[in-house]
Amino acid sequence: MTDALLGPEPTGRPTWGMWVSDHPQLVLGSVLVLLVVVTGIIEPRYLTFSGLRNTVLLAAPLGIMAGAQTILMLTGGIDLSVGMIATAAAYVAANQSPSGAAIAITAGLLVGVAAGTVNGIGVGLFRVNPLIMTLAMSAILLGLFTALSFTVLQGSTTVGRLISTLGGGSFLGNRIPYNALVWGGVSLLVIYGLRRTGLGRLLYAVGDNPTAVRLAGVRLWQVHLAAYAIAGLLAALAGILLAGRTGAVDLQLGVNFVLPSVAAAVIGGTSIFGGIGTYSGTIFGALILGVLATMMTFLDAGQAIQQIVYGSILLGLAWLYARVTSSS
Amino acid sequence: MTVATVESGWARSWRKNVRRHGWTLGVWLLLVGLMVAYAALLPRFGAFQITSIAKNSLPLVYLAIAQAVIVIAGGIDLAAGAILVLANAVAARLMEGQTFPVTLAIAVLVIVMATVLNGIVGWIITVSRVPDIVVTLATLFIFSGVALLVLPSPGGGTSEGFRALFTGSTSGTGSNFVPPLLSMAVPLALVAWWMRRTETGLSLYATGSNRVAAYLSGVSTGRAKVVAYAIGGAFGALGGLAALAITGSGESRLATASGFTLRAVAAIVLGGVALTGGIGSVVGAAAAGIVLFTLSPFLSALGVDPNTAQMIQGVLIVVVMMIAGIVELRRQRAL
Repeated sequence: MTDALLGPEPTGRPTWGMWVSDHPQLVLGSVLVLLVVVTGIIEPRYLTFSGLRNTVLLAAPLGIMAGAQTILMLTGGIDLSVGMIATAAAYVAANQSPSGAAIAITAGLLVGVAAGTVNGIGVGLFRVNPLIMTLAMSAILLGLFTALSFTVLQGSTTVGRLISTLGGGSFLGNRIPYNALVWGGVSLLVIYGLRRTGLGRLLYAVGDNPTAVRLAGVRLWQVHLAAYAIAGLLAALAGILLAGRTGAVDLQLGVNFVLPSVAAAVIGGTSIFGGIGTYSGTIFGALILGVLATMMTFLDAGQAIQQIVYGSILLGLAWLYARVTSSS
Repeated sequence: MTVATVESGWARSWRKNVRRHGWTLGVWLLLVGLMVAYAALLPRFGAFQITSIAKNSLPLVYLAIAQAVIVIAGGIDLAAGAILVLANAVAARLMEGQTFPVTLAIAVLVIVMATVLNGIVGWIITVSRVPDIVVTLATLFIFSGVALLVLPSPGGGTSEGFRALFTGSTSGTGSNFVPPLLSMAVPLALVAWWMRRTETGLSLYATGSNRVAAYLSGVSTGRAKVVAYAIGGAFGALGGLAALAITGSGESRLATASGFTLRAVAAIVLGGVALTGGIGSVVGAAAAGIVLFTLSPFLSALGVDPNTAQMIQGVLIVVVMMIAGIVELRRQRAL
């Protein structure tokens, strides 16, 4: 399905570029392995279960948030409010933690769906530009939860034990983090949903040619609404896991994940214009960013170097994609 | 004062221009209305308050102009805020303890540097064919990373004369509103004239409106984009210099950079610039920048607490955009 979306079958002698464009996952996998090996050379202790576990632990919330971003980017949209939605969900989950983990998680996820739905209404029904809509949503949530954190949500800074286990704990002798399990489940659902369900195919179609989809009798706003609601749900889930990992909830919880979530999807080969991309690519993107973050920690590189490296990798891979897709 | 100078230019073909620049006019009326309401709210409204609004809105206004030029040419610069922060950090680092003439020379150097740097970004976008939003997302990280290297913690300084250039007083606070208004109006008038009255300026509109058609009509679309990004870089640097003049020291956090970018994007959309390119004007964007900035002191004068004020700002942007969306939808159906 991806191949069909990437363009016509190339003819003639196979070139390096064609091979790359036919096997994007292999290329991303090689980059990932290379980064892991380089990190292992820098710090030999990294190539152990606990070293790799840390990377996955870091990458899982980012990967789930990048899933939200992937789904929206496929439709030609984007969500800059994922960070604040995650924070909001974490706050509500922390607030509801005394009433049990199930209620806490459900309440947190509902906040995400609600915010996502409002985004979807704005983008789908009122045709507000996704950048502006989600940006404004982010500002609204920040204002709302800053105010609430002084009143209703005061003291709601820690989550229940089940959530912190889910977000930060591991099983099988401290080898596999629980949040990787959650991420795995989400991944299977998203990949299956995008490939095999009507809605999944519509997401690709809407991003590829909205006019054609509308003329085919699809109500575009319903697709947008569903996509933004699902993205809100995923962002909320990521926020709850994040709260479980860090152990404390504050207003800065999700804010540093917004741009990396876009970066992970772009590194994974999802086009910002819509219609092209897979979630499996995004998973690689999130893992690559996770390994990079670990490597930077080992190298004791400061925030500044880390930002420069992030930016350079993003630019380099995006340029490579553009060359590959235009030459084949 | 800026309103008067801009409107006298329009007076010539009033009716046609009202139709064409309806949105821009609306934003300026909104600004005037907001100012009047703000003046009525405060017990004292005089030179000090005017100066305060004029100088403090400078960084956002410059950045809105930068973003407007780039978006009109069919791009978008997520790194605009990072250019501001980078210029701010470099200038604060170099200007500390220098005399006025030296700081002025450094300011020119910083503007030239930002112009060249963002011109290169525009060139990368044209050559690589990577979407603008992706390239500038990458440069957002890179530029703010470099800024952090240059200025690891808030600090640095500048000369008193340089502060007076943007703020009207050597200490950064005062009641002389002429310098801040001039430093807002002069670059704005220059770039507004350039965009509408020169061949290169118009080629930005052509490129943003329909790149293929512009290319086929002989417009060098690649050059237009590089020029747009270069000018965006220059205005981003102006924003960083103004911020330095206001606070007297530099700052280089990624959050500041992305926050500025996002507010500039909100400002241009409110100012009537279409994110699809080719539509809008820098004049509208600048007015919207002042409106966005003034909203927070206005709301706090109303007694609204800052958090609620932030929500109100967000809701306001969404509502304005929804109305614009419905108007656009109606227009399409009417055709």
